[in-house]
Amino acid sequence: MAYSDKVVDHYNNPRNVGTLDKSSQEVGTGLVGAPECGDVMRLQIKVNPETQVIEEAKFKTFGCGSAIASSSLATEWIKGRTVEDALAIKNTDIVKELSLPPVKIHCSVLAEDAIRAAIGDWKKKNGVAEMAAVETAK
Amino acid sequence: MLKVIESAVPVACWSCAVAHNEATLFCPHCSKIQPPLGGDFFSVFGLKPCLNLDLMGLEHEFHRLSRKLHPDRFARAGENEKQWSLADTALLNDAYRTLKDPIHRTEYLLKLHGAEIGEEHSGKDRQDPSRVPADLLEEVFDLNMQLEEMRAAKKIGEDDPALQASLEQAKTKFDGLLDEVDDELRVQWQAWDTGDAGIRAAAQKSMVALLDRRRYLNNLVRDVTETLGA
Repeated sequence: MAYSDKVVDHYNNPRNVGTLDKSSQEVGTGLVGAPECGDVMRLQIKVNPETQVIEEAKFKTFGCGSAIASSSLATEWIKGRTVEDALAIKNTDIVKELSLPPVKIHCSVLAEDAIRAAIGDWKKKNGVAEMAAVETAK
Repeated sequence: MLKVIESAVPVACWSCAVAHNEATLFCPHCSKIQPPLGGDFFSVFGLKPCLNLDLMGLEHEFHRLSRKLHPDRFARAGENEKQWSLADTALLNDAYRTLKDPIHRTEYLLKLHGAEIGEEHSGKDRQDPSRVPADLLEEVFDLNMQLEEMRAAKKIGEDDPALQASLEQAKTKFDGLLDEVDDELRVQWQAWDTGDAGIRAAAQKSMVALLDRRRYLNNLVRDVTETLGA
């Protein structure tokens, strides 16, 4: 099975590989894994407390090319978005962008899960239960 | 090919016309080879699907049937019989290879009963947390980091005894976890073999999750072994 050009590009030049300070209040960390293939993905975000904009996103993925490309693309997409906007990203968007074949769809699912987990961790840290509550508080 | 023969439908032998059980390679009356069964691997050995198998008995039966099906025995038989003996031999080999291995046997039986196993099916069952070994995630991630460090160190010809020791320790731990999974699988085998429909369904679900976990651990142990041995 051949990888699409976009997958190969992300695999060869992964964007935003790295680590953010896990203990920072502004950083949310998502760690997810696919039990079937052994892939593990860590995605971290740094959120501006004023604007709720994701200013920095880093990932580290151990897995196949599609998993690396999916998480690389995910960090690219969520950077500059607000937390709520980032939650709108669906795994199907990633599948489309990277032309993932059916057997690799779970890689995109993993990336979506990682985004959600990172945002969830950030929300928990910052006591954000519902964005609606924040909206009314403004 | 994946079909469970639940009840034996009597069919007439093509040669002697005496009715016999469908699930048999040879006519019990005239001993002539019968057309391929179209049954599952268990039925090749005259067994009902089960997980606790007498492996000695299976091997013995494999050799016995191999001899009976050997093409040399059909050198002077009719064209149909020759073809059947070849098809049955292939089926017998596949069946034996699958059933003698405990993990292959379990996977085969679960697939026979409609379970979806393997990488291509992951992600479909996101609602079921038992499929994700979340308890291991942190450790798995750290282990992968160490493996990467180790590979990098080996690449430039450096030794890192502390890292080496840490990886060996991790390997021992994950080997132990694999043994635990295998023990749990055997418990579920027993439940499946002896339980009613409800118990069977529960055992099937457990086994699918256990096999996922096993595959995951196996990949890790393989990676550690490769890196340490490289």
